[in-house]
Amino acid sequence: MDATIKDFEAAIAELESIVKKLEEGDLPLETSLQLYERGVQLSRFCHSRLEEAERRIEILNERGELKPAPAALGEDDKQVP
Amino acid sequence: MTSLFDLPFEEPGFTDVWVEGELSNSRVWNTGHLYFTLKDAGAQIRGVMFRSALRALRFTPQDGLRVVARGRVSVYDPKGEYQIVCEQMEPEGLGALQLAFDQLKRRLAAEGLFDERRKRPLPALPRKIGIVTSLDGAAVRDIIKVLRRRYPNAHLVIRPARVQGDGAALDIARALGAIGKVPGVDVVIVGRGGGSIEDLWAFNEEVVARAIAGCPVPTIAAVGHETDVTIADFVADVRAPTPSAAAEIVVSRKDDFCARLDRLAHRVSATMQARLHRLDSRLRTLEARPGLAGMRARLAMRGRHAAELTHALHRGIRAGVAGRERVFRGLRLALETFDLRRRLGRVRARLLAADGRLAGASARLRHRADGRLRSAAARLEALSPLAVLGRGYAVCWNRDRTAVIRDAAAVARGDRVRVTLARGELECEVKNSGQ
Repeated sequence: MDATIKDFEAAIAELESIVKKLEEGDLPLETSLQLYERGVQLSRFCHSRLEEAERRIEILNERGELKPAPAALGEDDKQVP
Repeated sequence: MTSLFDLPFEEPGFTDVWVEGELSNSRVWNTGHLYFTLKDAGAQIRGVMFRSALRALRFTPQDGLRVVARGRVSVYDPKGEYQIVCEQMEPEGLGALQLAFDQLKRRLAAEGLFDERRKRPLPALPRKIGIVTSLDGAAVRDIIKVLRRRYPNAHLVIRPARVQGDGAALDIARALGAIGKVPGVDVVIVGRGGGSIEDLWAFNEEVVARAIAGCPVPTIAAVGHETDVTIADFVADVRAPTPSAAAEIVVSRKDDFCARLDRLAHRVSATMQARLHRLDSRLRTLEARPGLAGMRARLAMRGRHAAELTHALHRGIRAGVAGRERVFRGLRLALETFDLRRRLGRVRARLLAADGRLAGASARLRHRADGRLRSAAARLEALSPLAVLGRGYAVCWNRDRTAVIRDAAAVARGDRVRVTLARGELECEVKNSGQ
């Protein structure tokens, strides 16, 4: 992932400031072009972060190991006694 | 009280007495035993509560507190005074639990543990959601159910802990310590389903409060039902009325940010579109100006050199037209390399192959994201300033490329200018500024 983008929040915050600058207008073409490209980059980052997580449930045991959770835990049809 | 001590202490009836009074001079010595005086309006008696009995006490005996003490009467030899050896003590009025709750709450509040400025914001898009609760309880299932519906690709890490009974508080505290260290976990939900005040008691213990305060990532306390309030709720960064609500809070943070992202993408598009539209119409106006149209004719009359230049210009234009198709293909390719649709397609294919069931579960979320991405990508494509250049326009810069030249009068004969084309850049010298 792009090293210049810290995280999701930072990306959105930067995107916001870019939009503000672009909307204020009067920027040289070259500058607005650069801002636009950065905006595209940030938006791509956010969307890829939204997509990248995969549904997973893990159990952290007493020894500090991560194990997949028993399948029954995530199933709706299993009723709690 | 006085009448009691008029009786000889050897009487068998004094091995189990109840004495009611106000605590004073209470002090825990370094032996761990509590010494105190119980008094009422007319009399007083000294008392001791040994460490073992004191440990079972949930509240802290403090001066001024009215209590009922149960124990046996004995004689304190050095002074020959009667004293009560207390086995059990109950505060008068409120129960022991309520008193313990109030005492701890006051103490931690005074320490600043509940201060608003200690509260940390929750992450917009958690990488991994930590959960500390019992695997047998309803809470963990409630949380999973909400996330399955509203955040299908959430990644959960559960650290099981006993949430009631002896040792539960310590277990919860240890679990909080462990889960805060798992890489990627950036929010922790700690809690349990509903129960009696005794069932929920672990969440009123100091060790849990300290563990929540010391957790390196933001915490959400979700204990019991809406009406249950525990010390944990005060210390946590966010209090959720129930475990399901805790999950909803995590999801709504994410949804809020997604909506914000959408609005921003839309504004970027709208702004760039407006700007390019203005640029386009300015170019059209320029083209239509007689000065520009006539320039070519004047150039043609200026002898061989001018003719050559004109020829080169024409050739350039022809080459530009011919190359347009190629340039356009190149641009398309460049755009597609950051075209999100393709990326999404690959992700989807991988997911489908990996697990059909899983794909079904997350289909709704992806469907939404997909639509959003498609329109964003289409907008971006339409917007790229490069597209204008691809249509054959060029941008003329000053020598240092710090300003765009919009007026022929801005340059003089002999000036050097740069011209950006769809592909590449030219460095030119002005032969005539058209004035």
